[in-house]
Amino acid sequence: MGRPSLADAGAPDYRIEIAETEWELGPKKKVRTAVYSGKIPGQLIRLTEGKPVTIEIVNRLDRAEIVHWHGQWIPVDVDGSMEEGSPMIAAGTSARITFTPRPSGLHWYHTHAMADRNLKHGLYTGQSGLLLVEAKENPGRYDREGFVVLHDWLPYYSASDDGSMMVKYNTASVNGRILGQGDPIRVREGERALFHILNASATEIHWLTLPGHAFEVQALDGRPVATRTKVEALRLGPAERVSALVTMSAPGVWVFGEAREDFRRAGMGTVIEYAGQSGKPQASSPAKLEWDYRAFGEGVPASSKPDVTIPMVFTSRFQGHGALDKWMINDKSYPETSLPSLQSGLRHRLVFDNHSTDDHPVHIHRHAFELISIHGMATRGVYKDVVVVEAGTRVEADLVANNPGNTLFHCHQQDHMDSGFMALFRYAS
Amino acid sequence: MRTVLIGLLLAFASSVAWAQGNYEIQVYGADTVAPGNTMVELHSNFTVDGQRVYVQGAAPTYHAEHETVEITQGINDWSEVGFYIFTSEQSRLGVQWVGDHIRPRVRVPESWRWPVGVSLSMEVGYQRPLFSPDTWTWEIRPIVDKTTGRWYFAVNPALERTWHGPDVNLGIGFSPAAKISYDFTKKITGGFEYYADYGSITNIASLHNQQQQLFPAIDLNVSPDWEINFGVGVGPTAATDHWIVKGIIGRRFDWGRKKKSQ
Repeated sequence: MGRPSLADAGAPDYRIEIAETEWELGPKKKVRTAVYSGKIPGQLIRLTEGKPVTIEIVNRLDRAEIVHWHGQWIPVDVDGSMEEGSPMIAAGTSARITFTPRPSGLHWYHTHAMADRNLKHGLYTGQSGLLLVEAKENPGRYDREGFVVLHDWLPYYSASDDGSMMVKYNTASVNGRILGQGDPIRVREGERALFHILNASATEIHWLTLPGHAFEVQALDGRPVATRTKVEALRLGPAERVSALVTMSAPGVWVFGEAREDFRRAGMGTVIEYAGQSGKPQASSPAKLEWDYRAFGEGVPASSKPDVTIPMVFTSRFQGHGALDKWMINDKSYPETSLPSLQSGLRHRLVFDNHSTDDHPVHIHRHAFELISIHGMATRGVYKDVVVVEAGTRVEADLVANNPGNTLFHCHQQDHMDSGFMALFRYAS
Repeated sequence: MRTVLIGLLLAFASSVAWAQGNYEIQVYGADTVAPGNTMVELHSNFTVDGQRVYVQGAAPTYHAEHETVEITQGINDWSEVGFYIFTSEQSRLGVQWVGDHIRPRVRVPESWRWPVGVSLSMEVGYQRPLFSPDTWTWEIRPIVDKTTGRWYFAVNPALERTWHGPDVNLGIGFSPAAKISYDFTKKITGGFEYYADYGSITNIASLHNQQQQLFPAIDLNVSPDWEINFGVGVGPTAATDHWIVKGIIGRRFDWGRKKKSQ
């Protein structure tokens, strides 16, 4: 691991060029946005756990940028968060970073720049890509891999039902294309396909279905689950990842996409085409959309007692019907937020109390936490770096402080983090 | 003095009496009712101090209680249709049906991401001569609004045309309305609403003969399914009802089709 520099010798393992491009989501659907290396999503970066990698990042935008390695347990200087102390990459300059990837699993890299109220910056852009860190030994009990990245496009502010402003979108995509565009995913009957799925939306929670098939969840946020439960629909909050095995047992042509019709109409879907099958892709919506993280846990309450308990109450303050709410953790907005220091080696129980009327996909940098309870119901064995804390509920999660350095905690909804929903954990010296 | 007042009223009553009407006193916002949703509103307006005599056969407004039922159906993301049932109650006439209007409205969809809300409504309808000498009228109402932070602005520069009645030859009338309000809290918004009738757009009336009304008004945002508005209007010109108390209570029915939200 090492500090970013501008002039390290030798060729980098990967190069990311940040620049604006006009991207065609589909016929007559073009967006002009900042992307990584000319593509949406950015190139798939495949690394091996424990094997150092050097990445060069070239910023061709007219503003400073920063790339966050989401899900990686790496030092502050390369994590890609200016709040922690990672350096920004000035406009028109480049930087090299070297780090040793860990843990294995499906992660991603994305801009960590603030958007404020500019819907052409931050995660509203195409600045995201998948990062797959392979374990040194990959048993590979599947026949094919598929990668699915969800994103929402052409955002605008609109009044929400609760009286405050929210962000809505005109268009949505899977792997940078609206439904019906781009090549279908071609499969054969009997194959076992491992789908790696990322919700790269700036603000939206998404539900995914593949009619006639079930998802056997293997990993959440890159961490293997304790119980590989089969589900009909996957729910992914912004920044959440799911790796799920699908047995291809229903020949036909199907829409693999959003469970909700309005999102499918906006473009969120791709086509799965069985060999020898043709026709119009079939879509359907489950009668009920249900998601419970506990389904993937061990079902036995956690035996470990926390060393420290840290209450974190999420609230908002109304700023006007034409403004975004101000978000607070324990009654303070970033940068005034203040959390207790983490004690190295100790188990900290984070108690997320969501007193607001919004769901919040909260994210911890450079660590993962183990879910302990959801709505008061105990679980264990589910490790996450993003968890959706639903409106009016409480989630408890244990964080073992094992990666010293400033550690950012925030809601992964871009408009929420821009409006104060962030806090920095520091390690006690 | 009384003779002068009656003369003025005779000159302008037909153009102004219905234009504002005291039946539906509301500045329109650009937003439309969500697709498949129905908004039912009751407009209750009491004229504390207004026209005390019959003008061109139209009943006085003084101490009249006007109740209007407005039913608006959302069609899609950019259109709705409203239907009005106007009634009047006063001591000498009892409860009377006044007339009905229909009002289709289209808007620039939010998804076009214009910096302001823009909408256009067209209102056509009949009212009995006992309450308006002009029995068939038509109105086109452009609507522009903007919400920024705690402030809200709306303007409705409406144009009117009489199809049947004394004002057929008057041409197009100009009846603008505007609103400015401020969100004191999430639930309480206060501001001013302005309503006017300048007479013919090609022959603007003198100030004395214009209708001018200003309503300090409050909106209560208690729930996304309810609309509550209350105001007291002052009309300083001779051609205007001088004091009106107005209230609107509305209920949205989504019939199981909630607006998409978090």
